[in-house]
Amino acid sequence: MIEALTALFKILIFPGFMFLTTYGMLLQFLDRKIYARLQNRFGPPWYQPLADFLKLIGKETIVPTLANKGMFSTLPVVSLAAVSTAFVYIPIYRMQASFSFEGDLIIVLYLMALPSITTFLAGWYSRSVYATIGSVRTLTQLFAYEVPLFAALLSPSIISGSWSISGMAEFYYHNPTLILVNLPSMFIALISIQGKLARKPFDSPEAETEIVSGAFVEYSGRLLAIFKMSVDCELVLLISLAAAIYIPLFTNIIVLDILLYFAKTLVLLFALSIFKAAMARLRMDQIINFCWKVLTPLAMFQIIINLIVRGAL
Amino acid sequence: MSDNSSNRIVIPLGPQHPALKEPGSFTLTLEGEKVVNAVIGIGYNHRGLEKALESRTYIQNLYMIERICGICSHTHSVAYCQAIEEMCGVEIPMRAKYIRVIIAELERLHSHLLWLGVAAHEIGFDTLFMYAWRDREMVLDMLAELCGNRVNYGINTLGGVRRDIDDNDAHEIKKILRVLHNQISYYLELATNEPTLIARLADVGKLNHDDALKFGAVGPVARAAGIANDVRKIEPYAAYDEVPVNVITDDHGDVLGRTLVRVKEMLESISIIRYCLDNLPAGEILAKVPRKVPAGEMISRTEAPRGENIHYINSDGSDIPYRIRVRAPSEANWHGMKHMLEGSFLADVPIAIAAIDPCYSCTDRAIFVNSDNGESRLYDWKGLREYSIKWHRDRGLNIADIQIPMAKNYIQIQRKTND
Amino acid sequence: MNNEEIIVSKIFDRFEFARDKIHVQKRLRIISDPFSREEFEQIIEYLHDELGFKIAHHIVGIDYGEDLGFIYMLGNDEHIIFALKEKVSKENPEINSMTKYYPSLLMHELELVDLFGAIVKDLPDVPSYPLPDGWPKGNHPMRKDWNPAYFDHKTMTYNPPAKEVKEDEKQ
Repeated sequence: MIEALTALFKILIFPGFMFLTTYGMLLQFLDRKIYARLQNRFGPPWYQPLADFLKLIGKETIVPTLANKGMFSTLPVVSLAAVSTAFVYIPIYRMQASFSFEGDLIIVLYLMALPSITTFLAGWYSRSVYATIGSVRTLTQLFAYEVPLFAALLSPSIISGSWSISGMAEFYYHNPTLILVNLPSMFIALISIQGKLARKPFDSPEAETEIVSGAFVEYSGRLLAIFKMSVDCELVLLISLAAAIYIPLFTNIIVLDILLYFAKTLVLLFALSIFKAAMARLRMDQIINFCWKVLTPLAMFQIIINLIVRGAL
Repeated sequence: MSDNSSNRIVIPLGPQHPALKEPGSFTLTLEGEKVVNAVIGIGYNHRGLEKALESRTYIQNLYMIERICGICSHTHSVAYCQAIEEMCGVEIPMRAKYIRVIIAELERLHSHLLWLGVAAHEIGFDTLFMYAWRDREMVLDMLAELCGNRVNYGINTLGGVRRDIDDNDAHEIKKILRVLHNQISYYLELATNEPTLIARLADVGKLNHDDALKFGAVGPVARAAGIANDVRKIEPYAAYDEVPVNVITDDHGDVLGRTLVRVKEMLESISIIRYCLDNLPAGEILAKVPRKVPAGEMISRTEAPRGENIHYINSDGSDIPYRIRVRAPSEANWHGMKHMLEGSFLADVPIAIAAIDPCYSCTDRAIFVNSDNGESRLYDWKGLREYSIKWHRDRGLNIADIQIPMAKNYIQIQRKTND
Repeated sequence: MNNEEIIVSKIFDRFEFARDKIHVQKRLRIISDPFSREEFEQIIEYLHDELGFKIAHHIVGIDYGEDLGFIYMLGNDEHIIFALKEKVSKENPEINSMTKYYPSLLMHELELVDLFGAIVKDLPDVPSYPLPDGWPKGNHPMRKDWNPAYFDHKTMTYNPPAKEVKEDEKQ
């Protein structure tokens, strides 16, 4: 009984759903604030993401006449559910995640693809030209960043010999020098994460000045709020994953580890925000060229290096 | 091509669209991301200016002419004033000519900074957008200090200018120009070095030398295609015959070229303003112009920030013009638009449109459009003024107390932001 | 003799009817008197094909009372503005499209159609410019006899006060 309640607490409250959504909003605020400060603006107050969310919840939800009503309203929930499910496999306040098993990295990678696919379907079922183009771009972008992202996230597991995120964290905790080998793949992963989250310079799928806001153009009210929430949570998920894999530093004291987790994720967020502020939006063909001609070969090179290192161990 | 015709989708860009700052309609036929056909519809901004000009006196028209365009209002009023001054045979004082040049170049600075911001926004580079518009505020406040207004300066009048520039103003302006020069030099470095910026601008919206001639392109669009077309040099008006002007050209022929031309022109404008302030001749600023203009016709042109601006004025000898026709520069640059859009990527359409710096109000200056839809209230001038004062009072502002900020404050702000 | 005068004398040599109807106003400005439709077309073809006036800035429509005037602003490499005028009667305001020489004139010719009621031959099938959709036919606002005070914005109809005009005539 106690065990079941603890599991429920972990899934729903901490470090599960409640923590994920709250931290998602906080990161959204920090991201916007850093971005604004880099642009010499003031930026929003701390409660802005919450205010936005509550306002959207209170707004009328409009479903386009031509859209498939069932699909249109389920997709946001699917997206949020996939992200929250993936989050329970990520170590937050200690080396061991809430739940883990050998191979959970693969599950997380597949769950991570779901939000992109729901975005594509959401745009496709909206039956609007802007949404259609946005969803096609989302899918095209998925093919561009997916390979380098997977390769970058899997290459550390070659050395650790474990396909579980918690296992990898534990291995690198005991062999800290090997973290340095994975540094290039960390940069590849960060760039791909930028693409995955459709942030600048890879925000072509929701380019405001071209296709208004891409796949979400027909969404409003509660459904849009859930979609926005799932994007925020996706940011937390990806940053936490990168922190767990590439910066596996732990003190084994719970409070310190939680603070360390915040420090790690904030550093990564800062890096992503600088990326966002410093560049112009790339065109779809330029994104594909960059991902396949630069990122993928680099990721492959990292895998070869890691195989050699593994052989030498 | 015909095999793919089933894959084509038609996407409307406008009349309302985030990429467009004013209404215009672009119906694009896409094949994947490629634009295969573009239908351009403009004319949403007609306000009946030319008809209205025919029922007002020359002096009243001066104010109307300034409101053809909110951005390049000075260049229109210069073209109008110098046409009428020439018809009346009036030679305006040299000091007035210099002041006209100073305001014209400040206007070019603010227009180009505005463009830089819009262009950066179109390609999703919002940081540059914010920076450019922050710096544009400095120019607008210099204009406010000199003319009393941020836009629609109202400095020109028939026979000269209405406000003088004193030494104190000149000193403050030079201080701000120093800050601005550093900023613009930085943008020039950015435009020549930033890889994503170059990736998005190079080879977009191509208009080569021959096409630019064929479509009659003017201003930065023509100069980016290597055509040294600049009215300031061809037919020096105001004080441009005494002021050294370097015509900036570039042979890229694409949006990158237009960006470089505009940024370099800003540096050139700064040196022109500095020269004018240093060599400002002493004397009167206003000559007398008769109320009635002798019968005849006159074609006057100026170099607006967007290119060659032509005014045709026909007088029948009364104090009301018989016909005024304004050919704004945007009107000339529209013709090449279809050519630039077709064959480009959808992602490049907003920047290609923005790159000619289209001013829809300038283009559609001719006809009047209904304003009251039954719900709106009509205010007369007095009522409007009272409403405005009340509106501000209700919010704790007394308009009479507001002072135009002095330039030195901006230097301090600038220092703060740099620190 | 400067460039402007050379151009004018070339036209005079070629077309006897044009003699003394074209004059150099000042540096970079050549202005003509109004020509009939046939004469105008001969001159504009000559200007475009042989005298190097490859740029058309715009067309100015002008209401001369009985006639409609169209002023074609042409330009060449030396940046001369040649204001070539054409005049047609209001009863039959028919002109030919000059887009075969100057493609950029299309927009300006559409404007003449809407604002002055010119009938331009051989225009391509494009949407009208610049009057809004639903504008009443036969209303050409830039003509001098069209008064904006009589136009009703809401119903988009033009209602000139017919009675008053008759009373004026009686008096």
